[in-house]
Amino acid sequence: MEGFPGGATDLSQLQSTMEAVEHACSSIQMHVNPGEAEKIILSLRLSPLPYQSCRFILETSQIPNARFQAAGAIGDAAIREWGILTDENKRSLISFCLCYVMEHSGAADAYVQAKVSAVAALLIKRGWLDFAETEKMAIFSEVKQAILGIHGMNAQYTGINFLESLVSEFSPSTSTAMGLPREFHEQCLLSLELNYLKEFYCWAQASALSVTDKIIGCGATVSEDKVCSAALRLMFQILNWNFRQSTNTLGHSINKISASSYGIRHDAVLLKKYERSLVQPGPIWNDVLLSSGHTVWLLNLYATLRQKYSSDVIWIDSPLAVSARQLIVQLCSLTGTIFPADNGEMQIKHLIQILSAVLQWIEPPNVISVAIQSGRNESEMIDGCHALLSLATLTSTVLFDNLLRSIRPFGTIHLLSTLTCEVVKAHTVIRDEEETWASEALDILLEIWSVILGRTDTDKDSVSTEGISAASNLFNVIVESHLKAAAESAFDDDGDADYFHASISKRDERLGSYALIARVAADVTVPFLIKLFSERFALINQRNNTSDPTQTLEELYWLLLITGHVLTDSGEGETMLVPEALQVGFSDILEEAQHPVVVLSWSIIHFARHSLDPEMRRTYFSPRLMEAIIWFLARWVDTYLMPLDATKGQISTPGHEHGHPHGYKLSKKVLLSFAGEHNQGVLVLDTIVRISMMTLNSYPGENELLAVTCQKLFVALVRRRNICVHLVGLDSWLDLARAFANERTLFAITARLQRSLAQTLVCAASGLKDSEASNQYVRDLMGPMTAYLVNISNRNDLKAVAQQADVIYMVCCLLERLRGAAKATQTRTQKAIFEMGSAVMAPLLTLLEIYKNQSAVVYLILKFMVDFVDGQIIFLNAQETSILVSFCLRLLEIYSSQNIGKISLSLSSSLRSEAQAEKYKDLRALLQLLTNICSKDLVDFSSSSDELDSPDIAEVIYVGLHIVTPLISLDLLKYPKLSRDYFALVSHMLEVYPEKVARLNKEAFAHIIGTLDFGIHHQDTDVVEKCLRAVNALASYHYNERNAGKEGLGAQNTDSHGSNGKLQDSILSHFLKLLLQLLLFEDFRMDLAGSAADALLPLLLCEHDLYQRLVQELLEREANPAMKTRLASAFHSLTSSNQLSSSLDRPNRHRFRKNLHGFLTEVSGFMRIK
Amino acid sequence: MSDEEHHFESKADAGASRTFPQQAGTIRKNGYLVIKGRPCKVVEVSTSKTGKHGHAKCHFVAIDIFNGKKLEDIVPSSHNCDVPHVTRTDYQLIDISEDGFVSLLTDNGSTKDDLRLPTDESLLTQIKDGFAEGKDLVVSVMSSMGEEQICSLKDIGPK
Repeated sequence: MEGFPGGATDLSQLQSTMEAVEHACSSIQMHVNPGEAEKIILSLRLSPLPYQSCRFILETSQIPNARFQAAGAIGDAAIREWGILTDENKRSLISFCLCYVMEHSGAADAYVQAKVSAVAALLIKRGWLDFAETEKMAIFSEVKQAILGIHGMNAQYTGINFLESLVSEFSPSTSTAMGLPREFHEQCLLSLELNYLKEFYCWAQASALSVTDKIIGCGATVSEDKVCSAALRLMFQILNWNFRQSTNTLGHSINKISASSYGIRHDAVLLKKYERSLVQPGPIWNDVLLSSGHTVWLLNLYATLRQKYSSDVIWIDSPLAVSARQLIVQLCSLTGTIFPADNGEMQIKHLIQILSAVLQWIEPPNVISVAIQSGRNESEMIDGCHALLSLATLTSTVLFDNLLRSIRPFGTIHLLSTLTCEVVKAHTVIRDEEETWASEALDILLEIWSVILGRTDTDKDSVSTEGISAASNLFNVIVESHLKAAAESAFDDDGDADYFHASISKRDERLGSYALIARVAADVTVPFLIKLFSERFALINQRNNTSDPTQTLEELYWLLLITGHVLTDSGEGETMLVPEALQVGFSDILEEAQHPVVVLSWSIIHFARHSLDPEMRRTYFSPRLMEAIIWFLARWVDTYLMPLDATKGQISTPGHEHGHPHGYKLSKKVLLSFAGEHNQGVLVLDTIVRISMMTLNSYPGENELLAVTCQKLFVALVRRRNICVHLVGLDSWLDLARAFANERTLFAITARLQRSLAQTLVCAASGLKDSEASNQYVRDLMGPMTAYLVNISNRNDLKAVAQQADVIYMVCCLLERLRGAAKATQTRTQKAIFEMGSAVMAPLLTLLEIYKNQSAVVYLILKFMVDFVDGQIIFLNAQETSILVSFCLRLLEIYSSQNIGKISLSLSSSLRSEAQAEKYKDLRALLQLLTNICSKDLVDFSSSSDELDSPDIAEVIYVGLHIVTPLISLDLLKYPKLSRDYFALVSHMLEVYPEKVARLNKEAFAHIIGTLDFGIHHQDTDVVEKCLRAVNALASYHYNERNAGKEGLGAQNTDSHGSNGKLQDSILSHFLKLLLQLLLFEDFRMDLAGSAADALLPLLLCEHDLYQRLVQELLEREANPAMKTRLASAFHSLTSSNQLSSSLDRPNRHRFRKNLHGFLTEVSGFMRIK
Repeated sequence: MSDEEHHFESKADAGASRTFPQQAGTIRKNGYLVIKGRPCKVVEVSTSKTGKHGHAKCHFVAIDIFNGKKLEDIVPSSHNCDVPHVTRTDYQLIDISEDGFVSLLTDNGSTKDDLRLPTDESLLTQIKDGFAEGKDLVVSVMSSMGEEQICSLKDIGPK
């Protein structure tokens, strides 16, 4: 072969190289001395001009692995030596690879051919921009010949395979790294898309066509099947391309509102969940994909083959069938400008075509489901679900429903409903395995339901009457199947994992989708739920104590969960509204007593009240049932109890008011007021408080139940002030508060839950009439806690008593309670809580000394102070601040005296790592404490403005940093939470008190700088941003000080950071270099550009000479003259455009941000390498 | 209820029993627990139920604080467990005798001579080396349920 690189080599040498490589390959396979073998192969890959040897191996070796390695070596070497190869060399390498695969197309060990093919693709891409168009044409015309079948079936298959590698080499996510700028990859991609992609598609189509006759007829061989499925796969791959041309024009040509006009949606971004995307190839593809009847051909092909192989059960899973279906589903997601602007006519026609073909895969659902359960492959049915999902995504709900009507007497939603019914049935029957076909299908189907029902613009009118009844049928089936499954599983042992869900969130997601379905037909489904509940309540009431109620309990458990989801939405931390569908779903019901939602709510609450009876409780209210009740009540309280709308007037979408008659408003009002303040609200509130108190007292050790009560239900009760107003007036609530303050019973709850309890009790103070009453309420609540702590710390025999386990437990509980109260600080209770805190300050120091070996107590003391400072500091006047700050200082000193220089022994490694984890937690708490103290100088609400003896917070921080920094190691900074806290503190410090930091002693300062250096390279953008802020603060301080004629960082700047022993850089110049390196060469995130600009500007100003020098160096290093000019002009405009001046004021920083942004966009294309 | 009011002013008295009953559900990771008569530190707690509608049980995995052996226990979560009193006391190290006993200075000025050197290699070397260099060393002694052991060391200043 002419021009093959590497010159002549003698045969014996080639032979010996081959033998060495062969030996290495076989010893790797047999796992003999793999290290040595890898070295030999690596040396082949790295050797200069290895082409002759590789070629020799490829052509003569009998060992496929050796040929594989040789092919890889050609690729590696050619990319590396691309510069020294002549054009002729390159061409000859490519044609060698291509000829090789063509010649060996029928050979065994296909992976070798695939590798050679991939190498050819790689080399073609590498030379893509250098080769003349005619050269590429020549290569591709050869390939085309092969694909069209001139050289036989094997060559055809090989050709298609080659194009597959080529396309994947050109798509950004699968391309090989070549050490070239991103721009290069981008240009290749655009050029391929523009000039070849469509052509490739046509070739694939043609090659498929050339074999289909044989496949459909008889006498097809394996290789025809292979060619056809490869061609379909290539087409699928091409349609997976992320088309650039069309997306560029899309924004202009399509107006957003088009969705409503004829039902095709363009805002669809989903399908992501299943790793699929919309296909938007643009108008030039119209002829290939649409007008030529391509889709119809494909659908017919699949249908014919399906018919032919109907007796062959495995055919559905054969490569040909799989790739054909993949392509069909992909064509389903076709959208955008490829369709002419004909009001969606053509696209709708296209979708109906596909739907009618896909129907066969999923219809009739019951037959399909039975078939799959008796062993038929499910992949076709799953693909059918995917196709439906694409349809649902691309169409409005009305259009989606109507698509099927031209083919069937019913709508698509009806079909979807029957299909889902079958899948739910199958899903609840098989519950042994985790991932079954039914659960996969169910997930997709529920996603479809969420898509069509969960849109913000869907209202009741967009689902037809038929669709509504289909939904209510479906909900019936869902509930019945799950109840059956629940009853059957009631006696299963509960090992945390529940039966048909892998995790709670997964279960909730499904229940949420079920609820969407139920709400569409609320007027049927809610009464249905009422009926189911009353049947079971009746069962329980009739029961004599002989029969086992467990099955009924489990059914009730599930019913409570689904009802909670139907009646309420789950939005953490948002103000819950009554779901819109329920508000509009009962327009004909005007009487409160008849409203199904009201009836359902009352019946559940009435049932829950039975739990107050000890006899009933023992027999029926198991911890698990109680959990569901409490969970339901928490959600119900958030949504229906004294809702804000009822008092404030209605918030609703204006559009609805016109369409609905008077009845709509009335029924909505019923819903918002039945548990309102002037109705049953207070009574229900009292019941709920009693039930929750009973839970705390009567279910000892049931931690999950107690957690739901304390962290969900109580939180819901005190969330809104209008409820608190009534709460604090209730005897039951006051009983709870009294028990909390004065009795031992509540100490039986886990300490952590006592914290939440304290928090909610204190929060409820917001319902009292004034600040005086609120403070008194808090004093009454927390007084006994502080008294105990003061008392115990004053005991003479403290040393002996303190170490007793019961005392430690008590102290922990009390500290948790104080923490809860501190977390609940509000303006109106701040005073009482400050009193509480100051009362325990001295005791806490005593306890910190006494409990220095009880890490749990130490941690709680620190955490209490963190929360206390956080809640209080903005309110305090100078005197109070000084009390607090000096206390914190003492605390820090004691802590550090106990912990510096201590060596702990532990007998087992697990105990030792526990001890380390405890240290880490302490450290985090300390950092948080310092950060919270810092915030005093930023936000200050205190009334007095006398600055007389305002304590120097900076001083505390200064001391604090000296204490904390030695404890922080770079290893510890690898923990994400700790590093975030640490860098938050450091950046804050440097911003607020740069002068203090500059005064730190040398080690502490160097330590901080070292951690900044580490932090800038961190993965976490949050941390990087904080470090950049810190650098900005440091440099700005230095610059401003120097301008004012002072020394700024002075000595700190010039030395230090010389630990590596190299030439000592000043800190600022070090950061300047670091930042430039980061911006230019590393994968810098654009969202950090703003903070990077802020840090870079003062650095530039401080170290102007160095900057000039660095720029000069960079320019000199750039070999390519065109790039050099671009880089130079980019640097020039970075510092001189937009009238950038040399000040650090806001407008100037803003200008620099703009400049840097432009600079990065300009430069990143050719400076960053892949 | 009323007889329980104002109940939790400190009623603990010195020299009480060696363990204290505490509800199993409130014992958390890193807490102490007696299993098979040995004082342990809890390293893992998990809960399960006897049947879906039964009561919760706690499953503890814990490590003996003296010999490092792993022990496990299952207790209904509403029942009480024994929690050991674990104390640590700091003593200044006065002398190391040749038979492997140490001599410690107590708070009230007398000496305590009944403790052996620890078996842990690294701690042992640090104590011996530190003592040989004449450093002022403070050792902390962990005791629980009648057993004692040196568990950590602190240097309170050179020479």
